[in-house]
Amino acid sequence: MEYELKLESEWLWIGLPVEIDHFQTEQIRQAAKEIMQKGYVKYVVFDFSKTNLMDSSGIGLIAGRYREMAVRGGQVYVSNVSDRMKKVLMISGLYRIVTPWEQVVVSESMNHK
Amino acid sequence: MDNTNEMLLEFDAMGENEGFARTVVAVFVSRLNPTIEELGDIKVAVSEAVTNAIIHGYENGAGKIRLIARLDGQKLTVQVEDHGTGIADVVQAMEPLFTTKPEQERSGMGFSFMEAFTDELKVESKEGEGTTVTMVKMMGVRDGQDN
Ligand SMILES: Nc1ncnc2c1ncn2[C@@H]1O[C@H](COP(=O)(O)OP(=O)(O)OP(=O)(O)O)[C@@H](O)[C@H]1O
Ligand SMILES: [Mg+2]
Repeated sequence: MEYELKLESEWLWIGLPVEIDHFQTEQIRQAAKEIMQKGYVKYVVFDFSKTNLMDSSGIGLIAGRYREMAVRGGQVYVSNVSDRMKKVLMISGLYRIVTPWEQVVVSESMNHK
Repeated sequence: MDNTNEMLLEFDAMGENEGFARTVVAVFVSRLNPTIEELGDIKVAVSEAVTNAIIHGYENGAGKIRLIARLDGQKLTVQVEDHGTGIADVVQAMEPLFTTKPEQERSGMGFSFMEAFTDELKVESKEGEGTTVTMVKMMGVRDGQDN
């Protein structure tokens, strides 16, 4: 299995595969649906560290989770986004509504200083 | 010297074949020594066209998809053909965010991605007959710098 999902209290972490297309997103969407029945998720983190290709199917997957989390007052984060993936997220307009995870971690540690 | 090369592939309309189709095109153009950026672009564009043929053209049912790739020097032409439902209004279908399948979490960005990642995009379609998407992209173009 190329992708990975982890549930921790209200957080769902999704480790994305090398290539995100329609075939892959169908499986990830299904897996996310199943795991979200086990606990109430408010925050989703999409980790792109392994990913080097994403088509519009991935945009649909992220936008879908964004809508789900938004109605719960939650949030969607993207992590380890390469320049290439950033370009794809920018073109789709998604980059404006998701939060880069690294930014959150940095501002958190600043607050603790 | 003849600088053209052409390939034709026909495969079943199945999600598993999306990765196969874009990899075939990437390998086909590899002798042009394309940049990683160019390869990523053309792979996404092929993925979009093939996915559309599967989920819209054949509505996730059985059918054959034809993939033709041609090189004229550095110029790559890719054609993706289905004999599925066809598109009633091509101009509307190509508008960003337009989708007929929002319930399947489609974002309506497929044609926009094809447009953004290639140099030329042409869509020919007839309701009840099918759709042919033709994309042109210059490969192995390095504006003076190595990468
Ligand atoms: N091969 C095809 N056969 C029939 N209809 C098509 C085909 N390709 C595209 N369409 C129609 O054009 C619309 C727009 O296509 P486009 O790829 O831009 O968006 P999408 O596939 O709906 O969403 P996304 O690509 O973002 O997942 C589709 O919703 C569909 O109605
Ligand atoms: Mg599409």
